[in-house]
Amino acid sequence: MDIKLLLDWRLHLTVIVTSMFAEWVGIVRIPLGPGTLLLLPLLYAFVIGVLFNPHLFSAMGKVIPKPVSNAAGPIILIAILPFIAKFGSTIGPAIEQIIAAGPALILQELGNLGTMLIALPFAVLVLKMGREAIGATYSIAREPNIAIISDRYGLRSPEGIGIMGVYVVGTMFGTLYFALMAGYIASLDILDIRALAMACGVGSGSMVAACSAALAEAVPASKDELLAFAGASNLLTYATGLYISLFIALPITEWMYKRLKGSRQEVSHENS
Amino acid sequence: MKTHESPVDQFDAEALKELRPENQLGKTALVLAAVCVAAWFSNIVNGSPLLDALPGMLILYVMVIIGLVVGRFCPFYLPSVAWVSLISIIATLPFFPGNGWIIARLAEVDFLAVVTPVLAYAGLALTGREFAMFKQTGWKLVIVALLVFTGTFIGSAVVAHVML
Repeated sequence: MDIKLLLDWRLHLTVIVTSMFAEWVGIVRIPLGPGTLLLLPLLYAFVIGVLFNPHLFSAMGKVIPKPVSNAAGPIILIAILPFIAKFGSTIGPAIEQIIAAGPALILQELGNLGTMLIALPFAVLVLKMGREAIGATYSIAREPNIAIISDRYGLRSPEGIGIMGVYVVGTMFGTLYFALMAGYIASLDILDIRALAMACGVGSGSMVAACSAALAEAVPASKDELLAFAGASNLLTYATGLYISLFIALPITEWMYKRLKGSRQEVSHENS
Repeated sequence: MKTHESPVDQFDAEALKELRPENQLGKTALVLAAVCVAAWFSNIVNGSPLLDALPGMLILYVMVIIGLVVGRFCPFYLPSVAWVSLISIIATLPFFPGNGWIIARLAEVDFLAVVTPVLAYAGLALTGREFAMFKQTGWKLVIVALLVFTGTFIGSAVVAHVML
């Protein structure tokens, strides 16, 4: 890719103005029923970026010509790296807490592999999705998971489309959904409330906030304890999530996908 | 490439491979500087003024470059994100020399402000093919996403419940 396109001033200036505007709007909280809809600046930045996209509105080609828009693709891979560095710097200082947090916290991280347990068979067998299903279900589709997919398959691949779709849905509805689901499951009183608090730590700041706040509402007496468990678990997901996603979740998802595709083909052969 | 847009779209997987950040360190260093400037400005609003955040942004820049160089010359493959995060974890460990100073400088850089420009690039980078693809599978992805969130929450809760 031509370096002149990669460094095109219109692209970077648009991104700077968009980001500053999005940051200026800030976090918007919309109370909705029992939960709160949390809107973060990165969501507005994405939406504004889409509105400036010349492939969607050809009039925008005057601001961002199509070749410049194409150059932005590989730039995402590089733009995510300073964030990854910032992300890692929250883990080093907390290393003692992470070690002290204990085996229960560590083992429940494996529960994050649950992303694909229901979703992948449903996506492949019911919705007949292709390889998008791998990107969509191997993880909770937050930034570090996107970085892995973008590194391995590229964000324009089917896997990339899958994870970006779940990312967008998560950004728009994830926080609200976590608040509603956690509150509801807590009210069923089947699982230990502390276990639910640990499960809140899925590696997304806004999701863990909404999820643990909902639990604290459900059981006000143990509020502090619940927030501590959720916070520790989220920190642990920050530390381990990248590696569990990369070395365990992605290979398992690939394997399950092949099995599911295989069984579907067998079934269709039998039918025909 | 101005006249051959659709072939570019078709071959973008190869273009991305060629553009793996660690394989073109010179180009990457320049683009990284541009995206760091974007993050630096994005950080003004809810983070710190430009001068206060400058050392922190430079630290992030250097961490990324070190991670990419290690990834480039390491005999086995790990994604560049893994190298960059490892470098960053090591540099902020309690026994790492100067870790207090590094952490204090990085505190001037807001966590969310660094992601905001990434999503702006992502919105601008979507191609016509992607819009068509998302239109086709959009509603399916909403259902799948909600199942993904339910799965990870129940999965973690059941494991933790058994352990407690």
